[in-house]
Amino acid sequence: MRIWVTGIGVVSPLGRGAGVTMDRLLAGDRAFGELSLFHLPDMRTRLAAEAPGISAAEVAPEGDAEAWSRTDAMSVLAVREALVQAGVAPAAAPIDLIVGGTTAGMYETEDLLAELSRDADAIKPLRAMLTHPLSSTADHVRAAVGPFRRVRSLCSACSSGANALLLAAAWIRAGVSHCVVAGGADGLCRLTYTGFGALSAVDPNPCRPFDKRRAGLNLGEGAAFLVLEPEDTSRARGVTRPIAELVGWGVGAEAHHITNPEREGRTAARVMRAALAKARLSPADIDHVNAHGTATPLNDSMEAAAIRACFGPEVERVLVSSVKGQIGHTLGAAGAIEAAVSVMTIARGEIPPTQGLEEVDPACPLAHATRATKADVRAVMSNSFGFGGTDTSLVFAAPGVFPAPEAPPRRAVVVVSAATIGPLGVLGARENDAYLKPGPAPAPGPIAFQAADHLDVGRARRLDRAGRLSAVAIQRALRDAGLDPLDPSIGADVGAILGAAFGSVDGSTAFMRRIYEKGVKFASPADFPNLVPSSPVGHASIYLGLRGPVFAVADLGVTAECAVVTAADLIAVGEGEVLAAGSVEEASPMIERCLGPICSGEARGVRSEGASAILLEAEEHAKARGIRPLARLPWWTSWRGAGAGVFKDAPAPSQRSAVLTGQEDLPPGLHLPEAWARVPHRAVAPRAGVHEGAGGFALAAALAAIARGELDAALVVGHAPERGYALLLTAERSPDDSGSS
Amino acid sequence: MDPADVRQKLKELMVTELNLEGKAPSDIDDAAPLFGEGRGLGLDSLDALQLAMSVEEKFGVRVPEGDEARSIFASVNALADHIVRAKAAA
Repeated sequence: MRIWVTGIGVVSPLGRGAGVTMDRLLAGDRAFGELSLFHLPDMRTRLAAEAPGISAAEVAPEGDAEAWSRTDAMSVLAVREALVQAGVAPAAAPIDLIVGGTTAGMYETEDLLAELSRDADAIKPLRAMLTHPLSSTADHVRAAVGPFRRVRSLCSACSSGANALLLAAAWIRAGVSHCVVAGGADGLCRLTYTGFGALSAVDPNPCRPFDKRRAGLNLGEGAAFLVLEPEDTSRARGVTRPIAELVGWGVGAEAHHITNPEREGRTAARVMRAALAKARLSPADIDHVNAHGTATPLNDSMEAAAIRACFGPEVERVLVSSVKGQIGHTLGAAGAIEAAVSVMTIARGEIPPTQGLEEVDPACPLAHATRATKADVRAVMSNSFGFGGTDTSLVFAAPGVFPAPEAPPRRAVVVVSAATIGPLGVLGARENDAYLKPGPAPAPGPIAFQAADHLDVGRARRLDRAGRLSAVAIQRALRDAGLDPLDPSIGADVGAILGAAFGSVDGSTAFMRRIYEKGVKFASPADFPNLVPSSPVGHASIYLGLRGPVFAVADLGVTAECAVVTAADLIAVGEGEVLAAGSVEEASPMIERCLGPICSGEARGVRSEGASAILLEAEEHAKARGIRPLARLPWWTSWRGAGAGVFKDAPAPSQRSAVLTGQEDLPPGLHLPEAWARVPHRAVAPRAGVHEGAGGFALAAALAAIARGELDAALVVGHAPERGYALLLTAERSPDDSGSS
Repeated sequence: MDPADVRQKLKELMVTELNLEGKAPSDIDDAAPLFGEGRGLGLDSLDALQLAMSVEEKFGVRVPEGDEARSIFASVNALADHIVRAKAAA
């Protein structure tokens, strides 16, 4: 099954549109200039690559611009361009949407956060904060462009855009998507600008990827989206030739350090090899590497080592370049922009140069393209590496040049463990049914949690509270499943997808407030990496040694369900073997009194907090290591809008079944099949408390009830405004052991 | 400034700013190397940035970047000497 790229849209510092961006990249133009978006006293540098003329008002509904962001605007423009080129529209056919990013509406909300932190009484539901959650970009693209069917927002820091495309490929190979528009978007903001400055990662002059004198990156901004379709669907609607094909992808985590890459590039090389293996190509088939090439001292030498390790003798031939010398580092958009550039490199037969590279660093011995080079480009590898060591590599190829890969057989997904940390402490795989038992409501606010009881605090010192809660939940889930990821034979098979609805809102607030009160030079380098939405799961991967796919998702009050469904999607098509999935939510006045009410609606019940990790595994993988699953996951789904008809293919309940939910009763518009409407319905919120991650507690409770033989099947349903998820867990039992625990 | 006082304040600063949980200022050896895996405190480059920022905030003394920083960050003693010298010169 070939995956066709049929449309590209780009908004970049070099202009609006994929074509103009590529023209100017090939012409060698550099987009760096004096920052105009904001000014902060004592800024050491004012250089940036801004996308000119972008404002939220351009795409927001009349009079509602305060609730939209520049990131939204760039995304909407890029998505529209990609759809027009592909000749598809979400109103006419089911199209799915995946948005990678790190900051969403941070630029529009960071000042307000700092202001509100000085006066807690002023914290109230403010429409201007609607654009703060990571998921707001995808929601706004859907509102502006059309009724996308399945929607995801994900973050793996600077590989977010690439991982959006990887998830799209997984959906297409699984046969669950026939058209996906996927990419990434990130607008410049004070937080990332001062944060990278605090890390001494910014070159005050235009950057020099792979150069001996390179002194750091420059920040840019932009958005890019690609329309991906399976060949047969595309042909059926009359398309005869794609722009290029997405043929390979690989993803993995370094489990090394939150900001510094592995020096020798071991994981980057592993991920690049995995992308080639997926494509069934060898280094001899690749004509160009579009490098991550940030121009930081550590990235470029690491990446050069990884490219050399992956390509062997072919490294003398394969031209390498980085567009970051022209458009800067566009963070969550970078992987998608570079994917779009890779596709155009193939289509045009011309490789863009690395601008700023004058004297190649002896530590980066590669065949650098220092000027635009015409070539017959059969295939391009595009690399993206993020904070926390989240590495992704994509391979694009010219249409029809290489043999069509087989679609993988769909694999069964089982649940081998689950853990939560919440008002009842740390509960393991067979204990979470406690949240279904009668008992007192939790105390409002933060849960009691002593990190030293669960973690080696010396090793966990970099982990903030969200990182620690995440690590504790995943650690317990792994232990209950007999998995030690530090065992080198298993670590690369274990990944994690853990989200938070609003990210590190209190951390971002404190960071911004410090800048305003003390000055830019006192921005905290150690705190900055904890503000990216993938930080908790990234930290947990480092602490626990998880080296499989690691990223965050966000989807308001159904973030945990979103993570588990996404993990199941990946395992089913062979993109992961063991994935811990769930969410982490922290008690915060900003969430309780502003973000929660404005984004999720008023909470009915006591607000609490906690983290969950549901451990999914490919059935064949569990069998191979002799593990008996606690439950099966035979069916899952997700929806946008009211959810009409989403249960039409749901299996019927078994004898002892229940519908479990996190926060509250089902919305009036959502109709369960009659057989499921008749079984008992139970919510965990009365014991677990109300928060955006309550669905993870419902899933953990479902697993425990099944593991203890109290239930044969549980349908876990989660919903938030305009969206929902449902997952069916069933007992994994031989006929002769019916129900005793 | 009294060097002993600076060393004490510096160690307190390190414990809080670098989240050296489970460590007391008195656990930090004044002469032991601060950086490098498996040696002394085992701090890394991200700690160096945080420490430089907080030293400037607390003592009003800038720690230079690059090779010069290497010797200044060698130990609590070296860093305290740098602070005392810079204060005396100011």
